[in-house]
Amino acid sequence: MLPDEILSQLNSEFPCRDTQIRQLAALYSAHLPSPSLLVAHGLTATGKSALIKCYLSDSGLPHAIVNSKECITGRHLLERTMAACLDARDKHGSVGETKTKIDRRPYARTESLNTLVVSLGKLMGEWEGEDGMKGGKFVLVFDGIDAQREAPATLIPALARFGELIPNLSIILITTLPLTHSLHKPGVPHLHFPPYPRTSLLEILNTFPPKIFLSPPDADKFPDYTPDLSAEDDAWLWNRFLGAVWESLSKHTGRDLVSFRNTSMRIWREFVRPVVDGTFGTRDFSRLMVNRRHLFQLEDSVLDRIISRDAEASKTNGEILPATPKIVKKAPGLQHDLPYYTTYLLIAAYLASYNPSRTDITYFMKHTDKRKNRRRTGPTKASATKARKISRHLLTPSPFPLDRLLAVFRSLIDGDVPQVADLLTQISTLCSMRLLVKSGGMGSSDVLGEGGRWRVGFGWEFVRGLGRSVGIEVGEYLVGGVDV
Amino acid sequence: MEHQRCYIYAPPELAERSPKRQRTSEGNPQKLLRERMQTYREIWSHQEEKIQATLEEADIVTQEKIVKFVSAASQPEHEHSLAIPTGLVVVGPSIASHGPFFERLGRRIKEDTNSANFVLTSGESPNLKTFLKNLIKKATSRVEDDDDDDLRPSTSSKNGPKLLDFDLGHLQEWQNRNRVQNIVVTIQDSEAFDSSLLAEIVDLFYSWLDRLPFVLLFGIATSAESFEERLSGKSLRYLEGQEFDVTQSSETVEKLFSTTVASTDIPLRIGPNLSRRILERQRDHVQNVQDFSDGLKYAYMSHFYANHTSIFLQKGLSFKDVPEDVFDAVRTLPSFRRWIENLLGDRDTQQARKLLESDEFLFTNTVQQVQAGQNILSGLSGACMVLVRLRKSLQMTPHAPISSIWTRAASGDLAGAPLLRETMLLVKKISSDKFLQLLTSMEELDASAFSSSFTVDLDEYRQKLDELVTANDTSAPLRTQHDVRNDSLRTTVVAQKVLLSKHKAALSEHDKAYSELVTRFHDEMENYFVGAITNPNELLFSEILIYDLKSPHTEVFQPKPRFAIERALASPHDYLGCDCCVAGAGEDGQVSFSGTQPPTAILYQMYLESGAIINVSDLWSAFNAILGTQVEDSDTKTMALFQRSLAELRYLGFIKPSKKKTDHIAKTMWKGL
Ligand SMILES: Nc1ncnc2c1ncn2[C@@H]1O[C@H](COP(=O)(O)OP(=O)(O)OP(=O)(O)O)[C@@H](O)[C@H]1O
Ligand SMILES: [Mg+2]
Repeated sequence: MLPDEILSQLNSEFPCRDTQIRQLAALYSAHLPSPSLLVAHGLTATGKSALIKCYLSDSGLPHAIVNSKECITGRHLLERTMAACLDARDKHGSVGETKTKIDRRPYARTESLNTLVVSLGKLMGEWEGEDGMKGGKFVLVFDGIDAQREAPATLIPALARFGELIPNLSIILITTLPLTHSLHKPGVPHLHFPPYPRTSLLEILNTFPPKIFLSPPDADKFPDYTPDLSAEDDAWLWNRFLGAVWESLSKHTGRDLVSFRNTSMRIWREFVRPVVDGTFGTRDFSRLMVNRRHLFQLEDSVLDRIISRDAEASKTNGEILPATPKIVKKAPGLQHDLPYYTTYLLIAAYLASYNPSRTDITYFMKHTDKRKNRRRTGPTKASATKARKISRHLLTPSPFPLDRLLAVFRSLIDGDVPQVADLLTQISTLCSMRLLVKSGGMGSSDVLGEGGRWRVGFGWEFVRGLGRSVGIEVGEYLVGGVDV
Repeated sequence: MEHQRCYIYAPPELAERSPKRQRTSEGNPQKLLRERMQTYREIWSHQEEKIQATLEEADIVTQEKIVKFVSAASQPEHEHSLAIPTGLVVVGPSIASHGPFFERLGRRIKEDTNSANFVLTSGESPNLKTFLKNLIKKATSRVEDDDDDDLRPSTSSKNGPKLLDFDLGHLQEWQNRNRVQNIVVTIQDSEAFDSSLLAEIVDLFYSWLDRLPFVLLFGIATSAESFEERLSGKSLRYLEGQEFDVTQSSETVEKLFSTTVASTDIPLRIGPNLSRRILERQRDHVQNVQDFSDGLKYAYMSHFYANHTSIFLQKGLSFKDVPEDVFDAVRTLPSFRRWIENLLGDRDTQQARKLLESDEFLFTNTVQQVQAGQNILSGLSGACMVLVRLRKSLQMTPHAPISSIWTRAASGDLAGAPLLRETMLLVKKISSDKFLQLLTSMEELDASAFSSSFTVDLDEYRQKLDELVTANDTSAPLRTQHDVRNDSLRTTVVAQKVLLSKHKAALSEHDKAYSELVTRFHDEMENYFVGAITNPNELLFSEILIYDLKSPHTEVFQPKPRFAIERALASPHDYLGCDCCVAGAGEDGQVSFSGTQPPTAILYQMYLESGAIINVSDLWSAFNAILGTQVEDSDTKTMALFQRSLAELRYLGFIKPSKKKTDHIAKTMWKGL
């Protein structure tokens, strides 16, 4: 493709990235020399990966992209780099009839940066460009190299010098922040991908408006409603809708392109429902806004969830939600019931975590009257204003030894529980559910080993629900009480 | 032996065994063992089939939904979706049933969709690398089963750079060869995974999604909400899917109980005590379907292993197969003795004598009576089922599941119980619309099919009822005379006292006829219940038909390790049974030390008496005071014993060194917890 064609196509594919596209085109073309190193940086979803990938494949330059996300260790990165270069070499290397595959045997192992640089040098040395000349250009992209797992400290500075050591190799490092100091190398060209401002975001998302009507309205009923007209309506409404979403939701949270797009898509169907129903016309934007305003007030729209709201709505058999649905946030809990004693064990664990052990005598001694002592320390109004104490259940849980848990457990239960192994089984089950967490101490590798200390992995709401399911008001046993 | 890594420990053989173990009678307990085992196998295999069928049925709805979800995940509309299709499978808090559930699910996924399914647990996945290694191992080793080795492309492996063994490229190669529709990766116990590991997995899979069609299934014990809370927004963005709720295991256990214990066609039943124990354990400690069927199986095994007379449960048993001592065993059964006594009471001496003397006569009678007993027990189970149905269609509270009704019936508490009376009273008052429902639900149950004593002709009632209802000209349902809504209260003031008097409202013709019908139904049902509900404990040969021993079951399923250790140390006499230590345990449980006890036990008892932090030197002097006098040599020997005992206590986890005070140790365990 001709350079101009590439540019115009990229510009239409990636609106608002004009400068970056032109710079890339200037730096990486087939015939002009390229810099040995470029750092492309920008915040998330600014089109770094997508644009560079698109440019390189459109321009037809031999290149390889190594995504650090897919590399589990530093060594893995090296191996994958080598493999990617060999693959690219096979693809671009020889043109026409002599489709000889490169002999890969010398490159079987890439254990260190040194091996990589030697192997790459060798590979590039034998490289023949498109025109059959030795020393064709090769672009090697490291995407997200700053987030590489288990990377040695020397990785980035070393990669930055690859271009110097190997003449026809150009390296592009894609990172989030500019690499000024960590390269230990002055004068490195940087290409900044600035975050999109509001206007750009709207322009980008406007290129592909989603449909209002999933299935086109009945052709017999509305004979004049042509697809063209429908597309026009889609674009008109989507544009206005995006503006509203930005102003009310995305301006405040999730300002990047992907979050904005997700938020908009999430509520779009719900938003146009009255239009699909036929309650409003396609251009009744202001009335639609008033009618659907609750969508722009809920936090649900900006939260990422696994179970989409559509799915949940269809679960209730397409019942039309009331105009201002209440936010029904389920308290964190269990979907299934726990066995009886397991519930008590959890309550006991919570109390052991949140009550200081010196108060156990007052709260749990069998022969003291529990009712009398409970709540005794509840703050009076005067003292509460004087010394503001943070309620216990808002603090982090503190660790406790296993026997304390068992002791509290036994005092909570009226009557006798035999010392069966089932209790310990339950504790280890709870442990694998992370409701009880082993926290350090000796022998912490063994779940039931001696000397270990434990914490609870759940909060006040959860334990209150549990307590009520077995008829215990947990707040009454908590030192200081709870004012809820 | 320290230089060896491991060695076989051969305990020194003692010449004499402890007296407890000696057998009192000669008799060969192994007699007919094979036959009994055979019978056991036959009977148990039926039960096992039932269990499997019930389990499959219990989660068939959920599994079908998941399978549908998986096969929909690769539809074209999903192709460009920006997230990994994810199923959140809420399996519930019984971790042990996660494995079998996902195993069944995996089988279905493989059968019904063209997908591969790999199950990974937290144990195999301490970190990302190991997780991937295991995933790849599972994928590639499975292929080698149906693929020839030389078919594997050797391009990359022989001469090129090798893929590291945690590189998902392996999976890609595999996918190129197998072309499955989806690669379902099941994370069985998602709670036990580190949140950060989950995030990494999601991130990685998402990055590969354009090459590998991943579908993720997460097994969840708590709830989908808590699972979502553990993941960061970024990971959540990469996932999209549905939640699937698996049937609560308490419900499944209930179903299992009704098919394996309270059903009508069961040759051997577990008795009320054992069932209560098993059910209680399910409710209180473990909710676990597997455990329930294990308990049942163990009960069956114990019955056939330890009970000679269980041979009579074999079908088609002939007289010559049964050796003599089995008849002796039958003659010792309490229910048999009761039978003989009853015969004598009836002055039927001839039959009694024949039963006692003729093995053959006894054989025929036993076979007959066992059969009869089975029928009676089936009738009892049938009655329980009918009762549950009745209560359900009358919408009675409290909800009494079949397990509780059956256990009550089996312990002989049901006849004349308030539960039954109350139900029958409500039947009397039933209105015609409800009666119709009740008839329908009884027809569904089809009681006469499994219980010969159920002679209530439902069709006739339905016919009559239909006639009455069509004849009824008001829109209100017909009512019986016992219905309180037909009563009215009248107040009269006589001599300044208010008198309340009940009056029956005049019944219409239809209502009268209806009342008669219902009364007849009630009476027939009552007769049926009276006939069917008997006390199984009084049944002849209940020892053969019902297994209800608590002892091996509790020891096997609910062992008490901590209690056993504490008891052994606190009162070693209980286990040692020697004469010397008896004096050690004084009156009212007060332990007085005696030098003859094992040193660790002595130390432990001192440990029990001390506080949270123990001064070792004090402990030593107390120890020395008891043992020092006995060991003449010197302090050194006592000191060695002391140190060994201390080390043993530490090994058992009772004490640990304390940093709070020098020369002190901290107590870490309290007795009785
Ligand atoms: N100017 C644009 N026009 C159209 N789409 C764009 C534009 N910029 C980004 N996108 C889209 O946004 C998404 C995210 O872009 P991309 O993955 O390139 O971001 P990134 O900068 O690499 O983010 P990260 O730092 O998180 O890797 C892609 O789907 C891309 O197509
Ligand atoms: Mg990127």
